[in-house]
Amino acid sequence: MAALLIDQSASSELLPSFALTPNEGAARRALRAQIAQLDRLLSAASCEAFPDRLDLPALPARGPRIQSLGELELLRDSLIGALGDAREALAVREVDRGAARELLEQMLLDPAKHRRVRISQRELGVGGCGVWSVMPRLGPMGRLMGWWRVKLSSGCPLAT
Amino acid sequence: MSGEVAAEFPGLRAEWVSCACVDHRCDGGVGERLALLASRLNGRQALELRQQHVPAAYRSFLRQVGIDPDQQPTPIEQAVLGRLLSGGNLPQDRISDGLLLALLETSVPVVAFDAALTSPPIEVRGAADNELVAGVQVEQGTLILTDSRQPLCQLFSPPQPPLAAGANSDRLLLVAIIVPGVSAIVSDEALTIAAAAISGG
Repeated sequence: MAALLIDQSASSELLPSFALTPNEGAARRALRAQIAQLDRLLSAASCEAFPDRLDLPALPARGPRIQSLGELELLRDSLIGALGDAREALAVREVDRGAARELLEQMLLDPAKHRRVRISQRELGVGGCGVWSVMPRLGPMGRLMGWWRVKLSSGCPLAT
Repeated sequence: MSGEVAAEFPGLRAEWVSCACVDHRCDGGVGERLALLASRLNGRQALELRQQHVPAAYRSFLRQVGIDPDQQPTPIEQAVLGRLLSGGNLPQDRISDGLLLALLETSVPVVAFDAALTSPPIEVRGAADNELVAGVQVEQGTLILTDSRQPLCQLFSPPQPPLAAGANSDRLLLVAIIVPGVSAIVSDEALTIAAAAISGG
C-alpha cells in the first residue's frame, strides 16, 4: 500500500513555486504557436476543399502591429471557429459525395430506373468535368424499347 | 529590430543589399524566366502554395501581427493570384520584374528603395504616436520599416514615392523582410536574384 507522508513542519518556502505573477511573454508565445498551428490546419482544409471554395468568415484584423494578449486570444478563438466551420463544410461535402457515389452505383445496376439522371464528376469528388448520365441506346428507338444505359461524357475540351 | 519587436518576434529581421540600375527597360532573360515560372502554375498549385514552408511562415506571421491573409494575401500569394488572373507574368520594367522574379523563386518579398534617399541600417519598429509614414499618419504601434533617418513604409506595404525606387533611380536599396522560421539562405537568395536581375549581372 502506498502512503503519502506530509511533513507538517515544512515551510511554505520549500513548496514548489507556481508562477503566481502572470508571465505574459510565455502566454503570448503559446498563443502565437497556437495561431500558427491553427493557420496550418485551416490552410490544409482549404486545400482539401479544392476545387470547391471554403467560405471562411473574415477574422478580426487590425494590423500590422503587435497584438495585445486579448487580441491574440480573440484571433485564436476565431480561428478555432473558422476551422470548425471548415471541417463541418468538408464533412457535409463528403456526405453529399457518398450519396452521389451510391446513386451512380444504382444507376449502373439499373439504368432504366434512373432515366435522365445526371451526376457530374465534381459531385463525385473526382477531377475533370465529365458527366455520368442515363441515356437511351439508339436515341428514340431505345427510348421506346426501354434500352437505357449509363454514359460518361468526355467533359469539356477546354479543361485539358 | 527595436527591443519590443525583437522580443515579440525573435527571428524577424530586415536584410538589404544595394545595387545599380543603369537600364530601366525590361530584360529579355528575366522576361523569359518569368514566363517559364508562369507556365508551371495551375489553380491547385496556387492554393497549395500556402502549405509550403516559406509561404506558410509569412502567412502565419501576417496572422500574428493582425492581418488576415485571406483578406490581404501574402506577397507570394498575391503574385500568384495576379498570374492566374492576368494569364501570365507580364513584364513591366526592370525593377518590378526583378522583384517579382525573386518573389516567385523564393517566396520572400523584396522591396526597392532609392538608395540616394535611404540610409541603412533598416529595421522594423512600432510607430510612435501620430507618426507620419510616407506622408500618412499611422496609428501608434503600427509596425513600420525605418532607416536610420526616417520611416520608410508600413510593414508589407509597397514603398511610396519619393522613397520608392523609380525610373530616375540609378542606385537601389533592396530590402527583404525575413519573418521567423525563414532561413538566412532563402533571404540571401532572394536578394541575390533581385540584385542580379535588376543590375543585369
